[in-house]
Amino acid sequence: MAETPKPYALLAEFDTPAAVMNAARSVRLAGFRRWDVHSPFPIHGMDGAMGIKNSKVGYFSFIGGVTGLTIGMSMIWFMNEYDYPLVVGGKPLFSPLFAFPVSYELTILLASFGTLLGMCYLNRLPKLYNPILKNQRFARASDDRFFIVIEASDPKFSATETRKLLESLGSSGIEMVED
Amino acid sequence: MHSNFNPIKTWLLAAVMVWFIHGTVSVNAADPAAQPAVNAAAHAGATDHPEATKASIPVIKQFAYSYLTAFMFYLSICLGALILVILHHLFDAGWSVPIRRFLEHIAFLLPVMGLLFLPIALLATQIYPWMTMNPPDHSLAAKSVLFNQPTFYVVAFVIFALWTWLTWNLRRWSIKQDETGDPKCTIMLRRYAAGGVWIFALTLTFAAIYWMKSLQHQFFSTMYGVYYFAGSTWTTLATCYLITIALSKGPLKGVIFKRQIYDIGVLLFAFTVFYAYIHFSQYFLIWNAAIPEETFWYVLREKGSWWDVGMIILFGHFVVPFVTLLRIDVKLKLSIMFPVCVWVWCMHYLDMTFNIMPVLYPDGLHVTIWDPICLAVIGYVLYRVFKKSFAAHAPYPIRDPRLKEAITWHEEPDSTNVSNEGGAH
Repeated sequence: MAETPKPYALLAEFDTPAAVMNAARSVRLAGFRRWDVHSPFPIHGMDGAMGIKNSKVGYFSFIGGVTGLTIGMSMIWFMNEYDYPLVVGGKPLFSPLFAFPVSYELTILLASFGTLLGMCYLNRLPKLYNPILKNQRFARASDDRFFIVIEASDPKFSATETRKLLESLGSSGIEMVED
Repeated sequence: MHSNFNPIKTWLLAAVMVWFIHGTVSVNAADPAAQPAVNAAAHAGATDHPEATKASIPVIKQFAYSYLTAFMFYLSICLGALILVILHHLFDAGWSVPIRRFLEHIAFLLPVMGLLFLPIALLATQIYPWMTMNPPDHSLAAKSVLFNQPTFYVVAFVIFALWTWLTWNLRRWSIKQDETGDPKCTIMLRRYAAGGVWIFALTLTFAAIYWMKSLQHQFFSTMYGVYYFAGSTWTTLATCYLITIALSKGPLKGVIFKRQIYDIGVLLFAFTVFYAYIHFSQYFLIWNAAIPEETFWYVLREKGSWWDVGMIILFGHFVVPFVTLLRIDVKLKLSIMFPVCVWVWCMHYLDMTFNIMPVLYPDGLHVTIWDPICLAVIGYVLYRVFKKSFAAHAPYPIRDPRLKEAITWHEEPDSTNVSNEGGAH
């Protein structure tokens, strides 16, 4: 399509984890919100530097787990005590004891579904296309370079000012990525 | 504070106490009328012997049971510390280096526990009904290989000898490294840990079976050892959490970070679940199979107020701590963690009571003056010894090769020495 390319994000390359960490701290302090750091390996302390709060995935896991436990217990109660009462081994028609192993398995199953789906939802996955992946330089994010990407949709974004900021933070190369 | 602590005086006092107790035992043992009634009640665990309730229980027996409960409670903490030290070396852990030294000291309280075992050894015939059961019931006859007096004492001796040897070496090589900084010490410690973990598993199981489970020798449970282990490590982690917090402002300042505190909290949470898993497995299988040889143990514990104690353990030992510790940020909030850790102690002590006391008081929970006395005395002795050995050595393994990793990892490197930090672990 012959649309004029519009700016998507500024891509800034850094040579060391320490440099990208310091830069990330400054970017956070400058008040940007739609930005990310890319690194070939996890950098300890980066969460703090970027100001990333604890993930909310846990809530999805918890809701999944509680749902699983409830379904398991009520399913066995419904089947064994209500719908088709059946005495097995002289035990009560329903007891949370014998219902527990199955309910527990369902707790784990639905908690992991909750975790997986919650993670996808929070990460906006599946995402089939990201303009940043077209960039040649960015390929080294999985090898030996560290990148900060600030998206143009950020309210604080300005093509000139943001570039200046990244330059002042010691970036070894800055590019505008276009969509 | 108490620098005039005199170990000789303490032991003299203890010796006099033991002699006194022993004297009372002999008098009591000579009175055959007092014995069978209590034994019968303890065995059948039934309320159909109402005459054999607390009125007829001799004081020495009350003391012995309270002492055993307190002993098993503190033994838990020592054994838990031992396994945490062993696991540190087995996993070649980095994060737990700063907390390892005080755990080594707590583990090395096991020889002291050996001395504190003397009252139990002397009062064994009062505590364990199988020791005086004549003629033996079918169960005792079948298990006579394990349950006879010489074996009981030999096993106790071997257990304490092994614990002394193991904890002494685990501490010795660690302290040696403080002076030399030799990485060879770490290798040696790893070897002791690798062999020690087997010794730990076997001795802990035997200790739990002989000293606690054999109160009702007819009982069967393959879960019993690991059940004691799960509760023990849980309690130790709570203790460890509080000690870490207390020391982080004093001798461990600068080496304890959020990371250590958080990880202890996570382990505490894990063992909350592990204990529940183990205890549920034991109960569930016995409940499901419904064989009288196994169910009688729980039937006894569902009579009278023991039912309520069981419910308190179910909710207080698992549900409440589980829900409380579930959130990730709770593990760093002292305002929540402090009450939780104290609660953990109460629950583990109640769990020990639940295991031991129904044999003596089949009709329900009874608290005697001996309970707090025994808890306080053993606790005080252990505290003094711990304090002394902690003060005598470096507060953490100062030259451990992994120390740097423990105190830098996960912390934001400060901008001055940022060039050699940053990540690729």
